[in-house]
Amino acid sequence: MILVAKVLRAVVIAAVVLSAFSSGTFAQSFKRPAPAAADWAALAKLPDFNGVWEVRMGPPSGTVNPSGIINPAVGVPPLRPTQLALTPEYEAKRKLLLAHAEQDNQSANCLPPGMPGIMAQPYPMEFLLTPGQVTIVIEAYSQVRHIYTDGRPLPDDPDPNFFGTSVGHWEGDTLVVESIGFSTQTEIEPHVPHSEKMRILERFRLTDPNTMSIETMVTDPEALAAPYVTNRALKRHRSWTIAEYICEQNNRNFVDASGKAGVNLTVPGGPSPAPKQ
Amino acid sequence: MNAAIRKTAFGPMILAGLVAAVASIAAAHHGFAVFDTSSQKTITGTVREFEWTNPHTWVWVDVPNDKGGVDTWGFEGMSPNFLGRRGWTRKTLQPGDKITVTYFGMKDGSKGGAFLSCKRPSGEQLTMWGGSPTDDN
Repeated sequence: MILVAKVLRAVVIAAVVLSAFSSGTFAQSFKRPAPAAADWAALAKLPDFNGVWEVRMGPPSGTVNPSGIINPAVGVPPLRPTQLALTPEYEAKRKLLLAHAEQDNQSANCLPPGMPGIMAQPYPMEFLLTPGQVTIVIEAYSQVRHIYTDGRPLPDDPDPNFFGTSVGHWEGDTLVVESIGFSTQTEIEPHVPHSEKMRILERFRLTDPNTMSIETMVTDPEALAAPYVTNRALKRHRSWTIAEYICEQNNRNFVDASGKAGVNLTVPGGPSPAPKQ
Repeated sequence: MNAAIRKTAFGPMILAGLVAAVASIAAAHHGFAVFDTSSQKTITGTVREFEWTNPHTWVWVDVPNDKGGVDTWGFEGMSPNFLGRRGWTRKTLQPGDKITVTYFGMKDGSKGGAFLSCKRPSGEQLTMWGGSPTDDN
């Protein structure tokens, strides 16, 4: 009897542990149905996002009309760029970070920047549309974002991570993406911290056949006094492909534990040859 | 050679813009904390090796010193991904090439810096920052 009780107890404990795991972050609580032919056909009716896009450095062009309205798409309220406005607490945190701005950040050690900075790197991104999902392959740091457009809700309490958890839907020709659950290891902008309550709303839209506009609105009740909106333009390159970017391949930059930057100038293949003659 | 690798005259205005561009683009991977961006310098030598690697290319140049030997200097450049779309290849610089490098030196004075451009004896100038990618749509 005692043995049976022990076995039963072990089974109960195992069941509790299993159920705890299955309700966690990696639970597949939303099961996407197998795509039907109609789901693939429906993709052809969406705007032509597929392909490789260059992130244009500097302010976007061609996306701002004289009224200052960025996105006049039907049914989609326009987002206008705003000034960054931090709460007093986070303004103080930012000043502290800026005080060390002569030093470097962890990207020198190949730590990817995460959201939203990863969307503003001087490397292209590839958009892939498949039934129920938009995938963004980001060349910088060889990163991938998954945006679920299959109707699943955002999770209640996701583990904070670098890209957050993203769901999207189409409003006319605009892909609207909501993301939550960000690690505080990422920054809104260089030296601008955020809380785990940060949310990001992105609107992707073609402004001409080969230009994509991305409006990004960051909200954070702890860090931001007002929503922070930035706009960016991507340019399509039909001849480009995404290249690998293995940051650890030959990274000679580093920051040490105190945040001080350095460079490894060890000559490849050993020291210089001896003097001639 | 091609559109992106061409003779360029760096005026003060261009340099100012270049510094801003270098600083903002390099910030993609790291800040510019170790480099002295207050002035550009030049040095002449022979290419020892051209590392065509991420996250940065490195141009290693043997420079004669006053002791009859050579010092090897290392210059950090943009990534192969960035340069490959602007006309560069892994063979653009080869061992034995004579070049004069324009660079931002190291704040600590060590033998290296941030590669800005270089010039061959023929006068050909190679820059890592010019050359807008082609329109291919």
